[in-house]
Amino acid sequence: MSQGADHHHGSNANSPEIRTEALEDLLVEKGLIDRARVDALIERFEHDLGPMIGARLVAKSWLEPEFREKLLDDADQVLKDEQIQGAEIEHVEIKANEPGVHNVVVCTLCSCYPWALLGLPPSWYKSPEYRSRVVREPRKVLEEMGMSLNPDTEIRVWDSSSETRFLVLPERPAGTEELDLAALTQLVTRDSMIGVAEVKA
Amino acid sequence: MSTNHRVHDIGGTEGWGAVPYDPNESVFHNDWERRVLGLLFQVLPHTAKRPGEFRHTLERLASEDYFCADGYYGRWRAGMEVLLHEYGHVDKAELDNRLGVPHGTSAGYRSANVAAVNPESLPPDRITPVPERRTVRRELKEAPRFQIGDRVVAAGNDEAGHTRLPEYVRGVTGTVVKIHPAEVLPDSTAHNHGDRPQHVLCVAYQAKDLWGEDAEQDVVINVDLYESYVELDQGAS
Repeated sequence: MSQGADHHHGSNANSPEIRTEALEDLLVEKGLIDRARVDALIERFEHDLGPMIGARLVAKSWLEPEFREKLLDDADQVLKDEQIQGAEIEHVEIKANEPGVHNVVVCTLCSCYPWALLGLPPSWYKSPEYRSRVVREPRKVLEEMGMSLNPDTEIRVWDSSSETRFLVLPERPAGTEELDLAALTQLVTRDSMIGVAEVKA
Repeated sequence: MSTNHRVHDIGGTEGWGAVPYDPNESVFHNDWERRVLGLLFQVLPHTAKRPGEFRHTLERLASEDYFCADGYYGRWRAGMEVLLHEYGHVDKAELDNRLGVPHGTSAGYRSANVAAVNPESLPPDRITPVPERRTVRRELKEAPRFQIGDRVVAAGNDEAGHTRLPEYVRGVTGTVVKIHPAEVLPDSTAHNHGDRPQHVLCVAYQAKDLWGEDAEQDVVINVDLYESYVELDQGAS
């Protein structure tokens, strides 16, 4: 994407495109980075990782009670058995929603997120609005985001302040009794595994 | 609650608007965001390699760079500029020259220096087996000082160093609900003072204890705290 150094001038110098490009050019010239490796890394993060990895775990736990129990008890072992590896999942805990209990995940201090299970986080998860408010008024925030919970439902917020990462196991929607693993996996959204949406049939 | 002095430590702070939520949002909005991600993962092995070090770099940014209009990847880019300058790879003046702008434009000019943390202020180090691979996990032979059900409170401090103790739980009593695997202490590793591994406690706080009687009903906030952050609440039953 670089077109050399000489066109970086004037009032656009602080535009993110120009600044990033200038930085990249300097790093390449200094031999600090390899452009092809940057491309490969982007490709991997954007296309090989994603919420389908977490979604499959959720769907499988809906179908197999023993798997669900193991996932809730020792997710690290399940990830090992399933050969799921990658960034930000050295220790994972799965928090199951159930009637009367709803879980939601945040990182108030930065933007910790189980990348290898959900892919890269969306901007709203990293926004100061979400980070600040979801610990103080989660019911209101969830409602604004389109999720109204029964007023009696207990909300458990998980602030990812250590290297433990959290994933929400949403409830299986009614009317999905006939669906198989692949079809159920399709229903499970990223946002339902963060805890800001429910899974719809 | 004491005054919040850390730009990033915003849990529970007020005055923010609606969450910019879009259920169909893609993870990148512009190509430069992709480049920043790709660059950062090659820059970090040449710069911030210790646990907590890159986080502390972001936390040292001026608030105009931390909450910049370019969003999260803009913040990462600013952090990368700071690291590249501090590690001697790309001087901030060199970047300004390349961009054809007067010196003083780079995030590096606005960032605070790495905080000087006195190692005496940290819990003592412990000898643990050296893991075979790079990890924050450590096997501690010491048992955790706390048990599930213990009532604990974190006093915190007002030092400028890196910590994973959120301001909003300081001085508030919570209950240990789980003990996670032990980790190196980021308050120490970020400042190059050694691993000082700690047990990690998951501590549950009732919303009304954090926010007062007007808090939402039936809300529990669970926060993971390094064992050295907390003491038993002596007044608790």
